[in-house]
Amino acid sequence: MSNGTGRISILLAALAFALPVFANEKAEPDPARSPYWEPIKQLMFGDRMINPDDRNVIRVYLNTRADDASTVPVAVKAQIDQTDEDYIKSIYLIVERNPSPTAGLFHFTPSSGRAQVETRLRFEDFSFVRAVAEMNDGKLYMSQRWVKAAGGCSAPNGRNFVPEALLGKMKLRFDDDTITYGKPTLVQLMIRHPNESALASDFDADKVPQFVRSVRVSFDGRTVMDAQVDFSLSDNPNFRFFFSPNDKGELKIEVEDTHDRKFNHSLPIAEGAPLPGG
Amino acid sequence: MRWIEVTAAMLAAVGVLKTVTAIAVETAEIRNFEISEVAPGNYVHYGSLEERSPENLGDNANIGFIVGERCVLVVDAGGSLPVGRALKRAIRRVTQVPVCHVVLTHVHPDHFFGAAAFIEDGAQFIAHRNYPRQLAARARPYLSYLRRDLGKAAEGSDIVEPTLLVDGRLELDLGGRSVEVRAWPPAHTDDDLTVFDRLTRTFWLADLLFVDHTPVIDGTITGFLAVMEDLREIDAAHYVAGHGRSLAPWPQPLVPQRRYFVAILEETRAAIRSKKTIQQATDEVGLAEAKNWVAFDTFHRRNVTMAYTELEWE
Repeated sequence: MSNGTGRISILLAALAFALPVFANEKAEPDPARSPYWEPIKQLMFGDRMINPDDRNVIRVYLNTRADDASTVPVAVKAQIDQTDEDYIKSIYLIVERNPSPTAGLFHFTPSSGRAQVETRLRFEDFSFVRAVAEMNDGKLYMSQRWVKAAGGCSAPNGRNFVPEALLGKMKLRFDDDTITYGKPTLVQLMIRHPNESALASDFDADKVPQFVRSVRVSFDGRTVMDAQVDFSLSDNPNFRFFFSPNDKGELKIEVEDTHDRKFNHSLPIAEGAPLPGG
Repeated sequence: MRWIEVTAAMLAAVGVLKTVTAIAVETAEIRNFEISEVAPGNYVHYGSLEERSPENLGDNANIGFIVGERCVLVVDAGGSLPVGRALKRAIRRVTQVPVCHVVLTHVHPDHFFGAAAFIEDGAQFIAHRNYPRQLAARARPYLSYLRRDLGKAAEGSDIVEPTLLVDGRLELDLGGRSVEVRAWPPAHTDDDLTVFDRLTRTFWLADLLFVDHTPVIDGTITGFLAVMEDLREIDAAHYVAGHGRSLAPWPQPLVPQRRYFVAILEETRAAIRSKKTIQQATDEVGLAEAKNWVAFDTFHRRNVTMAYTELEWE
């Protein structure tokens, strides 16, 4: 498409002229040498050894060039199954250049099947996103990816406004049409919430931070996924994770936000019964 | 010519060039700011379809003015103070009548950063009821991106708060000519306004209409399609898009934009139904439309993201 390449060259030329700061950050830096990571690492893990993972334990999946800095899909997937002897206890999801770097802390159990979570993040600047997996024996493994996106925390898009009546409303969607006991199924949880930091809004004195702080998914009282999160997650926080029931029961979601508001949602689960899929 | 004469001539030429460049940088003025009279009394400046740069000074949207016997109404002020000033000079080439109204059609920087040029006119700055809320959320990042992209040339470009909000329709009399400013439900943004000149039936759509440039969804895709159904019914003899220009009679210029949005809508719904992730959808949806639009690489995938995050709630 000759029009396209011509314009892209003009765009790149203009960018090179106008954005000297960004020109240095176009090349992916060395993750081991990131100046932003050291203080975060110290604060969160102290002197504990973090094994750089060669993709055997945990992996981060995403597109390096983000299309929308306020909605960057990120998947963190364990490469091992959870067993009673050996399982991933927690996954820390860190966007090292965000105003609040710890986007989320996700807890799992042996009965989670696979420790896996997909969500959508805001990126304030070109940054590494790091997933640190903590095993039940305390060992830490890390995987990271470089993301080219900016403005996701401070420059909101048109979607952020959630009407009062819809705040906290939830929707569940399943990949499978029905449950089979003992078989892990991927479930998506969607929560209506602006999930904003109010960082951009100093023209609006009334604006206060308003974001989801915790999400607890349980089945028959047992935890499926337990997460502490903040405004590094996109508006209308969205999670995909595994769920593996062995008997019929109730899938329960409890959400809490910064205004101490609590939102609940539940769904009866039984083998053979149709699931909401959309 | 002897070498000393050649050198002297070259030095003189360099001297002139440096002086001219210095002037151009300091005042950051736009020369050759062309306007077209698309219908009697309706004047349009067609902005560049390229991205904002120090070369185009943010002159990236279509803007213009309508001249009455008593008053001028400005439709959008452009993407920087130099653009707003150039528009003002263009108005003065046409009429000495004062600028009474500046319509800020929606909260995007390529349409409003020139507004400061009209403060001294004592004009009403007219915007949609939802405009102040969006402006409050976006003003600071928009200003810092403007400075990043235009450097010194951004000086003086500033946020101008609206003085009159529209919720529904507003009729304005410019002296011997009546103009309707209309507020729309969420579409391109959640604060879109159009202007309709009754005398010539000229319809100024701003970013409710894109020609050649990839249409942008920064509001809602279903809302945009619904609004377009109403736009089609407007009895317009002439029209002005927010970006690009066309000679096709109204409502034909809506056709390509509708086709693009319907492709995104239907393919995204199909992707959601077949359990595709947002990542997969942005990779796959709407690719056949790439050849029809300029700046596709910059805007299309974000449009799909907007559509996906809207439609997954259906």
